[in-house]
Amino acid sequence: MKVWAGLVILPALLLAEQQGSLGTSAVVARGDQLFAQGCAVGYCHGTAGAAARSPRLRGRVFERDYLVKVIRDGIPNTAMPAWGDRLTDGDISALVAYIQSLATASSEGPAPAEAASAAPPVAVKESELSPEVRQGRELFYDAQRAQRCSNCHRLQGIGTVVSVDLGKLNKQQLGAEAVAAVRNARARRVRDVVLTSGDRFPAVVVDRGAIVTRVYDLKSTPPVLRHLDNGEIQGIQAQSAWRHARVVQGYTADELRAVWAFVGWAAQR
Amino acid sequence: MIRIILLLMVGLLMVGAVIGCAQDGATKADWPAYGGQNSAWRYSALDAIHTGNVSQLTAAWVFQTGDNDGGLQSTPLVIDGVMYVSTSHNRVFALDAVTGKRLWSYRYELPKTFTTFYGPWNRGVAVAEGRVLMGTLDNNVVALDARTGRELWKVNVEDANQCGCNITAAPLIARGKVIVGVTGGDSAHRGYINAFDLRTGRHLWRFWTIPGPGEKGHETWAGDSWKFGGGSTWMTGSFDESLGMVYWAVGNPAADFYGGNRKGDNLYTDSMVALDVQTGKLKWHFQQVPHDVWDWDAAYEAVLVDLPVNGQMRKLLINVSKGGYTYVLDRTNGEFLTAWPVAKNINWISGVGPKGELLGRNEPVVGKPKLICPSIGGGRSWNHGAWSPKSGLFFTTGIEWCQEVVSQPETPVEGKTYFGGTFKLVSTPDGKSGGHLAAYNPLTGKPVWRYEYKYPLLASVLATAGDLIFTGDAEGEFFALDARTGKKLWSFNTGSGHRGSSITYAVNGRQYVATPSGWGSAVAGLMQQFWPETEQFPSGSAVFVFALPETKR
Repeated sequence: MKVWAGLVILPALLLAEQQGSLGTSAVVARGDQLFAQGCAVGYCHGTAGAAARSPRLRGRVFERDYLVKVIRDGIPNTAMPAWGDRLTDGDISALVAYIQSLATASSEGPAPAEAASAAPPVAVKESELSPEVRQGRELFYDAQRAQRCSNCHRLQGIGTVVSVDLGKLNKQQLGAEAVAAVRNARARRVRDVVLTSGDRFPAVVVDRGAIVTRVYDLKSTPPVLRHLDNGEIQGIQAQSAWRHARVVQGYTADELRAVWAFVGWAAQR
Repeated sequence: MIRIILLLMVGLLMVGAVIGCAQDGATKADWPAYGGQNSAWRYSALDAIHTGNVSQLTAAWVFQTGDNDGGLQSTPLVIDGVMYVSTSHNRVFALDAVTGKRLWSYRYELPKTFTTFYGPWNRGVAVAEGRVLMGTLDNNVVALDARTGRELWKVNVEDANQCGCNITAAPLIARGKVIVGVTGGDSAHRGYINAFDLRTGRHLWRFWTIPGPGEKGHETWAGDSWKFGGGSTWMTGSFDESLGMVYWAVGNPAADFYGGNRKGDNLYTDSMVALDVQTGKLKWHFQQVPHDVWDWDAAYEAVLVDLPVNGQMRKLLINVSKGGYTYVLDRTNGEFLTAWPVAKNINWISGVGPKGELLGRNEPVVGKPKLICPSIGGGRSWNHGAWSPKSGLFFTTGIEWCQEVVSQPETPVEGKTYFGGTFKLVSTPDGKSGGHLAAYNPLTGKPVWRYEYKYPLLASVLATAGDLIFTGDAEGEFFALDARTGKKLWSFNTGSGHRGSSITYAVNGRQYVATPSGWGSAVAGLMQQFWPETEQFPSGSAVFVFALPETKR
């Protein structure tokens, strides 16, 4: 194990220099604190990187650039989240220094870190959002509501694109009066699908193939992507009694104004 | 002749229904549901393979799924000679159950950039009315055509990038409904159980495991803590057709180790809930751990058995809990009958009182390590026990291990991990950490025999009318024990550890035993802290199928 020590201490020292006034031990201590709050928790990397659901970090050598990238961006399709939106560059550097310091640790590990409790939780980087946009964002995705905007619309990577892509609304559309714009949104793509079984329901047609037609069934919430055999479809009618006003009736006029403010903010990003 | 026997059988069944005889949860040729039947016995009436000939058992075929990530934690199903098995990343294979030949395969299309805190694994599918149903890693439910594997419908339960949750458990099918739970108990999330129409995918009902404002039980959550209080439903529930009740065990409250933000009992976390299958409305609940600060999910299987208690036949429910106790309830009304331990090393309480109340709570402390037994991996993990009506015994594994827990305050951020502390595995005070499988009298908890193993046993148990118990271990041994004595009668090394659920079935009168093999999972990862050599245990993902030689059956 001692063989690795030189390899590890060197980057840690270089890092300390980059950190300016913070010495190596202070940087590592800050990393230790962040690690205890965000990485050692629960089923993740275990106390002092001793392994749990996620890989062991103790007694392993990692390149600095690799650690920075993985912490910042996460690893897609795994349990490793991206921390770039919650940690500053300085925090990430401190974490890297701490993880690199574990390279020389034996698999036994030290006693659990003391007094992490007094420290504040990892900060959320809230950007320049206005209170109205922030409220609108909460309402748009509100998990406590069965009927919420994100059931059928996707913004900022969350939600299902059933119909209109709100991220592509233009300035003129976004300039419309909020409550009317949301309540009276014209559902141009909603059709009534009639099956040979007699079932009739409002739907958005996704695509029509030679054998199968895919539609979003809007009869219940959340919408269901159904693959219908063309043979079981009796007809698809352009007229539908479906109205956007009905699915947004759970939101008050003030709430719709906030939602619209969020949509406008998100569409311009 | 066959027709006469069938008529007789139908007649007997009808008589049974009229006089309300004990329900039969045994499987026969098929293994139609996750727990065998919806009563989750994991018991088969097949007895062609028995204690007298099991030593002749030999491999019939092996199917390699090709996706080792996370191992293979699935329960295969067999219906009419076709095996359906799901793997990590929501792949599904339909195989000829006699030859292992692939009939079709399905690859679920996961989003390109997607993070799942709860692992890539899937624990099984459901099959009903010509459809294969599965919950997905990004929190969708999909229905496939059982003949072709073609997708029929797909519905998003909640955006996985928002909730940090997903579905790894097999769905439960009851009265034309697909009923699914959700992970998320270690994240800032509010848990639920959803029912969808089997044919159309349309949403039918949702039961929130944490009551909202105005609902009974909401007062057991301080402030806004209910919004992010966990209460996941990450395993598969059970169903009693005659009572019309769905039984589901609810997981821990979040944050796991820190309860300062959520003062109160935190209903319905760590509870068994009984729901009306038609409406999803709560019929009764029994909370095992009010205000849990140890991560003791009650999330495991609900085994529905009918047994005489003090001379009176009772409809019971057996539920092993992560805290190491097995609870026995009356499943008609939730009345507590008894609770007994499946592990020796339990110090978070001193015992369970006559009404099910916890005695001598020993809670983690903020900022200071405290020895808590069992470890967070549980006095047992999720891998299921088995009930054999033939022997009257309940077979389940148990784990001896401890941990040092440090509680720490944490502020919830929707969909992000919300744990409230750290832990480190340590030895039990007697220095005898490890696992075991035992046969218990379900009403007294008295063990009849105990099979010891140096590591935790993390595969489900299978019981058969041939007086056999099958399970597998961390080193890849799949083995059979005599259900009456615990004596090992047969064993086969599959080359990778066991974390799934074996089954047995018959095709054309020949009995087969099938087991998933493939080391992985969260708890397998935890083991590395205490048993570093297990880090080297190879992953895998294969289904091994065994039968007696054709001439010797």
